[in-house]
Amino acid sequence: MKLKTKQFGELEFNEDRIVKLPEGIIGFENLKDYLLIKTEDELFFWLNSIEEAEIVFPLFAINALDDSYPQVDENEVFGIVTLNPDPAKITVNLKAPVYINLNKMEGYQKILDTDKYSIDYNLFVEGKE
Amino acid sequence: MLILSRKTDELIRINSNIVVKIIAISDSQVKIGIDAPSDIVVLRGEIYEKVKSNTIEAAKQGAQNPNIKLPKLAVNKLKTPNE
Repeated sequence: MKLKTKQFGELEFNEDRIVKLPEGIIGFENLKDYLLIKTEDELFFWLNSIEEAEIVFPLFAINALDDSYPQVDENEVFGIVTLNPDPAKITVNLKAPVYINLNKMEGYQKILDTDKYSIDYNLFVEGKE
Repeated sequence: MLILSRKTDELIRINSNIVVKIIAISDSQVKIGIDAPSDIVVLRGEIYEKVKSNTIEAAKQGAQNPNIKLPKLAVNKLKTPNE
């Protein structure tokens, strides 16, 4: 199978690389099939719709932020990132994470029932390394 | 839309497994209790709308900034309340 993406050019992939989100992403409930792309030198994963190739969500693996974040067995947990030309304004949605089981290649988005996590959490802080 | 009138403590049943109960009524607010299986998603409407606009903006920015160069910024670690 082939997918023409804006960012990665034309990708060729087997059907077993498709990540299925049967309920879609909130606001994009009609899009259910995705490729999860990670390039070596980048911090973000990219969840690229197969049905609409121009729709792509940058994802951040939330484990890197916090060990106590709600986990689901056998699932990776990602936050959808809102990019910005000014990196200090890049935010990640911790309120509605995307859980993906990479063995089953299936996932879902969940809105967490707590006020603990912000929908637009600043991903970066300046000055600390 | 189905519109029903209910008094305090009266119920609405949806299928066999969802019960909505009117707990209290005041001038401008009702308190509602909902019993539903854990796989039923119950949300305040405005939270869903907030998440939706965030996601739409994320998709827009994702398409516009495909090769964003990140300077050396540290990741903003979450602080849990007991830290």
